[in-house]
Amino acid sequence: MALDKPHKSAKRKATPTTVGEFTILPLTLPKLPGLPEAYTDAKHYLYIKAHAPSNPTPSADRSLFIANVPIDASESNIRQLFAGQLGGSRVESVGFDSAIPGAPTLKRFKDDAGKRDKEGEEGAKRGKKRKRDEDVVAEGIVEDEASALPRIWSGDLQKSGGCAVVVFVDKESKRGALKAVQRVVKEGRTIEWKGGDKGVVGVERYKSHLSLRYPNPTHLLATTTAYLTQYDRVSTSRNRLLAAARAVPDEDGFITVTRGGGRTAPAARVELAEQKKAELEERKKKNGVKDDFYRFQNRERRKEEEMKLRRGFERDRKRVAEMRERRGVVRPED
Amino acid sequence: MAPAIKRRKIKHDNGSDESEANFLEETKDEELSSEDSEASNVSMDAPEERDDDEEASNGEPEEQDNMSEPVLRCAPATVSKTDNTAKAHKRQDVQPRDGVFTAESFKNNVFKLQVNELLDQVKLKHGKKEASAEKAMRMLKSLIEHLPSRAPASIAEAEKTLESAGVAIPFPSPRPPKDAKYKLQYERPSSINATGSYPLKTATRTDGGVVIDLVVVMPKAIFQEKDYLNFRYFYKRAYYLACLAAGIKASKEHSFKVSFDTLNGNHLQPVIVIDPSGSGFPDSSGSSCRINILPIVSEETFPGAKLLPKSNCVRPKGEDDDGPATKPLAPTPFYNSTLRSDATVTSYLKLLHAVSEKCDAFKDACILGRIWLRQRGFGSSLRKGGFGNFEWAAITALLLQPSPRPGTAPLSPGYSSYQLFKATVQFLARNDLCKKPFTLQSRDVDFPKSSGAPVFFDGPRGLNILFKMTIRSYSQLQFEAKTTVDALGDSVFDQFDSTFILRTDLLRYRYDATLGLPLSAFEFDPKSDDYNGKLGEACNKIYSTLIRALTDRVTTVTFTLPDSGAWPISTPKPPESQQKHILINFAIDPANAHRTIDYGPAAENKQEAASFRKFWGDKAELRRFKDGSILESVVWSNKDTTATILEQISLHVLGRHVDSQIAENAEFVNDSFAPLIASGRIQGQSGIASFSLAMNAFTSIEKDIRELEGLPLQIRHIRAADEQLRYASINLPLSRPASIVLQFEASARWPDDLCAIQRTKTAFLLKIAELLSAAHSGVATRVGLENPSQPSHNQAYLDITVRTGFTFRLRIYHDREATLLERQLKDKSLDVHSHESSATALALYKREFIQVLSHTQAIQNLCTRYPALSPAIRLTKKWFACHLMLPHFAPELVELLVVRTFLQPHPWPTPSCATTGFLRTLAWIARWDWRHVPLVVDFSSSMPSNSAESESYGKGTMKLEDMEQVQTRFEAWRQIDPVMNRVVLFAATNIDTSGNTWTDMGRPEKVVAARMTALAKAATTVIRAQEDHIMAAANGKETATADLPPESLFISQIRDYDLVIHISSKYSRVSKDKKSEPKYKNLEIQLIPKGSLGAETDLVPLFVEDLQNVFGDAVLWFWDPESLDRIAGLWNPLVSRQRAFKVKAGWNSAPVRSRDGEPKGMNEKSVGIHINKRAVLNDIKRLGGDLVSRIDVNRSCIGDRMYSK
Repeated sequence: MALDKPHKSAKRKATPTTVGEFTILPLTLPKLPGLPEAYTDAKHYLYIKAHAPSNPTPSADRSLFIANVPIDASESNIRQLFAGQLGGSRVESVGFDSAIPGAPTLKRFKDDAGKRDKEGEEGAKRGKKRKRDEDVVAEGIVEDEASALPRIWSGDLQKSGGCAVVVFVDKESKRGALKAVQRVVKEGRTIEWKGGDKGVVGVERYKSHLSLRYPNPTHLLATTTAYLTQYDRVSTSRNRLLAAARAVPDEDGFITVTRGGGRTAPAARVELAEQKKAELEERKKKNGVKDDFYRFQNRERRKEEEMKLRRGFERDRKRVAEMRERRGVVRPED
Repeated sequence: MAPAIKRRKIKHDNGSDESEANFLEETKDEELSSEDSEASNVSMDAPEERDDDEEASNGEPEEQDNMSEPVLRCAPATVSKTDNTAKAHKRQDVQPRDGVFTAESFKNNVFKLQVNELLDQVKLKHGKKEASAEKAMRMLKSLIEHLPSRAPASIAEAEKTLESAGVAIPFPSPRPPKDAKYKLQYERPSSINATGSYPLKTATRTDGGVVIDLVVVMPKAIFQEKDYLNFRYFYKRAYYLACLAAGIKASKEHSFKVSFDTLNGNHLQPVIVIDPSGSGFPDSSGSSCRINILPIVSEETFPGAKLLPKSNCVRPKGEDDDGPATKPLAPTPFYNSTLRSDATVTSYLKLLHAVSEKCDAFKDACILGRIWLRQRGFGSSLRKGGFGNFEWAAITALLLQPSPRPGTAPLSPGYSSYQLFKATVQFLARNDLCKKPFTLQSRDVDFPKSSGAPVFFDGPRGLNILFKMTIRSYSQLQFEAKTTVDALGDSVFDQFDSTFILRTDLLRYRYDATLGLPLSAFEFDPKSDDYNGKLGEACNKIYSTLIRALTDRVTTVTFTLPDSGAWPISTPKPPESQQKHILINFAIDPANAHRTIDYGPAAENKQEAASFRKFWGDKAELRRFKDGSILESVVWSNKDTTATILEQISLHVLGRHVDSQIAENAEFVNDSFAPLIASGRIQGQSGIASFSLAMNAFTSIEKDIRELEGLPLQIRHIRAADEQLRYASINLPLSRPASIVLQFEASARWPDDLCAIQRTKTAFLLKIAELLSAAHSGVATRVGLENPSQPSHNQAYLDITVRTGFTFRLRIYHDREATLLERQLKDKSLDVHSHESSATALALYKREFIQVLSHTQAIQNLCTRYPALSPAIRLTKKWFACHLMLPHFAPELVELLVVRTFLQPHPWPTPSCATTGFLRTLAWIARWDWRHVPLVVDFSSSMPSNSAESESYGKGTMKLEDMEQVQTRFEAWRQIDPVMNRVVLFAATNIDTSGNTWTDMGRPEKVVAARMTALAKAATTVIRAQEDHIMAAANGKETATADLPPESLFISQIRDYDLVIHISSKYSRVSKDKKSEPKYKNLEIQLIPKGSLGAETDLVPLFVEDLQNVFGDAVLWFWDPESLDRIAGLWNPLVSRQRAFKVKAGWNSAPVRSRDGEPKGMNEKSVGIHINKRAVLNDIKRLGGDLVSRIDVNRSCIGDRMYSK
């Protein structure tokens, strides 16, 4: 019905080549067996423009922004795409916004978040590559090569309709790449999408995951040890920072209340304390002034009870009225 | 009512012949005024009187409104308090007086309001239809009054005369002897009256139209003193009736459609039925009123003393009628009571009317009772149990008499209708009237001992009201009454629906097994004189034999007998069709029903042993048992392939004691859905025997881990957290790792940081793995990783494969995590994303480490308590899986749905086999209005209070306040999230009142929940159709609907989906099973060989997970996690439509030139996007590679329809 028609009509009308600042680049997808006839000849559309983030980053002016990347896009096949079919510009790196599984995300402090924005899209990647133990995050540590857990997937997928920022080696390459894209679109040349890297999709992807998710225990133990050692170091410096924040008044003379200062008691003692507290409350209840001592108390209680009854009735009546509205009249089932 | 009476009196004073009286008023009138009114003939309503009467009836509702006041005054417990409040209220506000104070007399407000509404709905409106019926009745009356008398005639003459008039006299069997000396006669009736529920205004609209009983009192003159003997009364009555029929038929003015029927299926009492389809009815179009004409006699015609239950009124042939009896004759209670019931019609009408005058709520109570009986399939008819509306009303009325008998608390006229109803049900539930006859104001009345039928003897009227009942129908009635008393005792859940709304007599829901016996199997001649008697005896024999043979295996055995119908007046009563079936229904006790040995008496006990052997025949064996005793015993085979033990026993004893043919013709249906799952039939004494291997493996691995030396911390708990370890997985455990959770003793040495805690857990797991492999050579261990992008979530688990082949997946539970997460939530210095992520993590943590554990324990306990629970859960999950919905529902949620059926079973007892548990769950899902009603399960309700176990069920039993709390939470969720994006189904328990633990984050989504309801409704419709089919077949009718096999409920409509991904058979789970049966491949136990975890079949779940992550916004995926042979998808309708260009659409888009007229931004004037379906399909195929064999696209847009629901 209406769902499938736009395909054909759109095709006849010729696909638009630009939308807003974006150039629309059609990619021809490989022909695959097992798909219905009408679906064999498929195109994927990339929306490409020069990258212009609201918070400028150092690499922004040599980057292109691509919307709607294919699900099996990766740094290597994007690089190949530009190198092989789109004028040969050299790509330095590619950052994706919705990789699956994504890079580890750590909780951060508010002010820290601003800092991260300035660093641009590279931030997420950096954690994996560079050692940054001076970077204090809200929890855990930013892992490095030694402390990161072994990867359990052979490659990332991109969420359908995700975006990417392609960073070129220099401004010229970027400009050249964009030009090439626009030319290709104008000329209506066919650009082919090669599809996923080996091992990233298909049976291989899942087979490899089944073995990757059980890493070598020795390796796992090594990363764990490394992590905990690094953590000890970071937590000391984090505690120092927090302690400083606790002690230093801000410009208005207030001292920010922060966490830390250590745990007051071990878990077992906390439980005990809670138990004691409950006990004390119980005792207080017993010894307190009885609440039916004065006449006004009785009177008020009765009044309260009556009001409760009334409220209850009103509520129930409303409920039943709603019930009737919903399911019609009450009638025995046939 | 006072004004009506006054008016009436004035009219009597006028004394005119045309004293205008409506029929309804007339009957009341007669009772109110003394005997003299009986003499005055009934007269017809003049049309102008109608207005007057309507006024009276219009006035009635006001009176009813005031009814709550007298109720109050008399309600014993609340007198002073409520009176005070009542007064206080009157001053403030008059409006809510109706009901505020009724909590005591009406269970609760909601119940009362619903009862009121129900009564409003079912009461007759006395509108056009009824007016037409009344008019017809008046016409009939005048017609009958003008029939000429007939001269006395011998039987042969009478038959001949009437035959020429086209009427066959409906003589009861045995037919009167040809040479009878007495004469039959017709004379004008002494009076004609309406009786029964219609004039009492207790008739309801639910009985398929109004039925008015018109009694014609036969004049005393036509009877002789001894006519009560030897059917003479009944012959005369039949003749009288035939004369009436002939008269009505011959009437030139009106043409009524006349036929004969028997009153309550009692062949002694034929009646005339006037059908509305005849043209005699004024404006009969669409009217469904029916008039029965019942000939009766006045009470004093025959001496009541001769008709007491113990006397004999049918003398054996050959003996002189009045000759002194040489030996005591066998009593004929049924005959006597039938005659007596004809003589007492008027006095009961008087009684009921008097009571309804005295007790305001009586009529309403009768209506409630009427509905209750109807929903349980009881009726006055002999074959429906012999307990109907009249019996109900009479018993309530008699119990309302002051002090009916010492030791019985009389009902008070001040009771509310609900109290009267409940008290009557309680009376039935508590008194076994079969063992202990109940007599009222009568001394020295004896009852025949042998019959064992129930007795409720009304002394003043000399009638055993329950004379039509049998032992079996009474025990059925008592059982239903007990169930209802139980239900009404429930203070937490609303039991209104289960008491009055639900049909409870549906065989598939009510009973676990049904045995169908064709009447032909008995080989009785339906034309013979005592056919009815023989059939009745045969039923009694079958009943007593089955009860003796099945002992405690069954809780109830009931009979569903085919209906008998009306027949044309021109022919004698047709013999009963032998095509009909008797259905014998069993409710089993699951703990005993599957026992393989029945123990008899010891061998030394010669007499009993002989009787035992005689009963069981060659099945009885003398056996020596382990404890040294030598007992007579019977042994049954308990293999999956053979018939169930219940079937074996029933057929054996019926064949032996009733008729050897019977066993061959019998059709036995028992737990027919159970074979759909592996070990679905309950074996031995429990439903969980098939899980014992896995449970033992768990116990031993727990022991092994606890015994490990060298762990830095002590272990506090190792607990199960998986459906396979709570008897609730579709397939028997082995195919997937079963989650277990380990908790260490508290220690201060854990790092105080979520991520570091996860890494520490990893270290612990590595240590456990190392120690375990070292200590036990047969145990394989490996540490696996999960949640790679969430370093603060659990990162690692330990898979332990034991020698028996089971794999356990161990995770470590550290209670500090919750505190840390809560602290993060409160921490203002964290950014927004972190807060969100903490909230999600906390919910997940609570679910995975806290709720799952207590849920698992609760289900484990319930499964041991209720043998049928485990198979019912598994069957229900199977249904969800077969319809590809299971992945959208947390397994715990499905379990709760089934547990609800077991813990709130009303109006039925707790299910005792997989089939009833499953079907009732489906029926409930079909009824469940999840938009407005939460699912609440009270685990504690199954617990005897203060037992040791109850600890695990939370603190004590669930209270009304808890229920209110859940309701408030539910309403809050609906307010926050009215379109139900996040929480669709709401499922709370007493141990987890949050309600969204299993259903948060749109699991299931609204469209899936709607599909669940639609599928359940469809299934329920099929079941109901089958029920109708069974009943029609029992009544000897052929129907179009064929008997559907149980599997048919489990076939998914794959065409409903937009696209279907077929998984190549190498990777799907089904391919390993036998090829011959392509539809139900995974019914057999799948024993994946040891060490095969991580084989090819495990790839597809990972693929599906990717599909969800990658295309989750555009496509909704459905699949069966058990077979994994195909994955179906629905396009999200939001993305299929064209929309304006957006950078981050969240799905693979294709640009299109948008049509003109759609407002767009400056730049995107002409370009929109819609989903690029071809590319998405291509993506899926690229992603799946060889896993995907082909992708089908359904062109139909049913999927959209599913969404739009």
